[in-house]
Amino acid sequence: MPLGGMIFITIFIAVFGTALIFLARAIGGLAKRTSAAKMEIYECGIKETEKKDSKISVNFYLTAILFILFDIEIIYMYPWALNFKDFLKDGTGALVFTSMISFMVLFIFGLWWAVKSKALEWEK
Amino acid sequence: MGNSSLEIIINLAKTVVVFLMMVQAVPILVWLERRGSAFIQNRFGPNRVGPLGLVQLLADAAKFLNKEDFVPDKGNRLLFYAAPVFALIPAAVAYMAMPMSTPLKIGDSTFLIQGYEVNVGIVFILGISAMAVYTMLMAGFGSSSKFSLMGAMRASAQVISYELALGLAIVGVIMMYGTFNLTDMVLAQQGAFHFSGFGREFSLSFLPNWGIFYQPLGAVIFFAAAFAESNRLPFDLAEGEAELVAGFHTEYGGFKMLMFFIGEYGHMMIASGLMTTFYFGGYGIPGWTIAEVYQTGVSIFGSETGGSIFSSVMHFLSYNVKFAIFLWIFIHVRWTLPRFRYDQLMDLGWKTMLPWALFNTILTATVIFLASQYVI
Amino acid sequence: MSMDTVLFWFLSLIVIVPALAVVLLSNPVYSALSLVMTMVGVAAVFATLNAYFLAGVQLIVYTGAVMVLFVMVLMLFDLKHDLQTFSRGKVSGFLKIAGVGVMAGLLVGAISLATKKPSLIVEGSPLANELAAAAASGADNTKILAENLFLRNMLGFEILGVLLLVIAVGTVALSRSKGGTHARD
Repeated sequence: MPLGGMIFITIFIAVFGTALIFLARAIGGLAKRTSAAKMEIYECGIKETEKKDSKISVNFYLTAILFILFDIEIIYMYPWALNFKDFLKDGTGALVFTSMISFMVLFIFGLWWAVKSKALEWEK
Repeated sequence: MGNSSLEIIINLAKTVVVFLMMVQAVPILVWLERRGSAFIQNRFGPNRVGPLGLVQLLADAAKFLNKEDFVPDKGNRLLFYAAPVFALIPAAVAYMAMPMSTPLKIGDSTFLIQGYEVNVGIVFILGISAMAVYTMLMAGFGSSSKFSLMGAMRASAQVISYELALGLAIVGVIMMYGTFNLTDMVLAQQGAFHFSGFGREFSLSFLPNWGIFYQPLGAVIFFAAAFAESNRLPFDLAEGEAELVAGFHTEYGGFKMLMFFIGEYGHMMIASGLMTTFYFGGYGIPGWTIAEVYQTGVSIFGSETGGSIFSSVMHFLSYNVKFAIFLWIFIHVRWTLPRFRYDQLMDLGWKTMLPWALFNTILTATVIFLASQYVI
Repeated sequence: MSMDTVLFWFLSLIVIVPALAVVLLSNPVYSALSLVMTMVGVAAVFATLNAYFLAGVQLIVYTGAVMVLFVMVLMLFDLKHDLQTFSRGKVSGFLKIAGVGVMAGLLVGAISLATKKPSLIVEGSPLANELAAAAASGADNTKILAENLFLRNMLGFEILGVLLLVIAVGTVALSRSKGGTHARD
């Protein structure tokens, strides 16, 4: 069972990375506050503006929600794809094939709808 | 994990070795990238420090260590520091599952030439490497800069969009091999091209039995989506300088920046490794099956241990040659193609690659179905 | 203690401590990231139960998709100001008390269910026999899953496809309604 190895290497990398950051901090030192402007976030030649005023396009959420839906549909194809040849050997292949093809038709219809209703349209 | 405590210790040490291999490959890749880009653009590139400029990256690392540690006052310190450390984890943990050679048999113990074997390899690698999105979101939120935040949003929307095409392209691969296990896939691609269906056998002795010949469309979609997943040009919209300064690592510098780099190259390595394993025979050597390599080793060294070591070394070299070719393609494409516009990028992912990946899945399923049902 | 027991307690810690942090931390972004950690821990628990495919699905769907949406949404709204208005009000006070009630009910239910024998899989049924055979042979149980999904419960599977389609259509339709704070045009 590889779980032990995964947990071990995750902890190892976390410790390793943190140690590197502290090493760099110990050698390079903290940033000296020579001026207030130095510690500001990056801005193109004007005073820094807070990010909370910024409005983000709803397209990002829409993309994320549609991604979840389609991702779930794709995950359902995995056990089907894995056992497809076995099903064909068992003689139940035709039924399984039709069942997944009709599922895919629904998938295609959803994608077509999303494209047609301009949900995936971005500003040019 | 292993039976004796010695085996457990060796297996744990192996994961550390694979991780360190990934980390030490990054300076070489950066050197290759800079020299390669210079070659493509008719420049010299780094050539002063050491032979061919090879030591340049060590000098760079020493310089990074000397940089002062900067956190913007408005930023969230915890997330700002956590993001670069987290950048290393998904790439490394996922890459551990990649089979790099035949198992090494010494006496009674068997050691796999990979971090650990995962039974559901593909699903595991997809799931773990999907977590890279959090690195970007943490970095974007931690810096509190609107450029970082916009870069993080764009990058994460891009990564999740292309994950669909990536996941669908793999369905064809799973269907063909009938397994999630990466080692089983490599074993299935041994020997010469042969295919049984429609009641007869097809074979071509001059072609290896690689996935690319069964899934050419899937391979193209997978590779293109892998570019977008690892945020490389032509899909590196997250750091489009003209619009977003440097994307989610605008506020980062010094060693923290280097750690983001290691993460990015780690994702490149995963993509190259998966490409090799799915479509190009993994560690297999074309025209020389694993059993034959083992027999040659036994006849040269006169012992089974010698044969096993010979086979492991030869296949490891074979894997790395293929792996390096794909890494070079990543670099070459970066310096050849210009960047997409954001709406073009999203259109390509949702409206072109996803439908084609679906088409590939249906086509594969139909061919497999017809091949088993009908006789020509 | 055997290796498995150590692993079990460690994973329990990884699941429960971030789950508590989700509730107790005041910064919603930290809460969401803790929830990601909980999801990863649950995936690891699935892996200890030999349900490797389920563990992978948990990783892909929950940490790779659902939580990304959560974190994206939370990071975009600077919730520091909204947080204070939310945590000091009659409505939120009511919600808190209601939340405690639901939580207590769930706990009692969980304990009473855990002390009983699991009733979903009836002993001696074909499914239970298959599962026992698969567990004994150490084989992957994805085959049984696929048979159940695509053959025995085919109608349910197709209805699920329709449901997902309805969700997609609904999402797109809702996001197109004008007049909200984040309306499209």
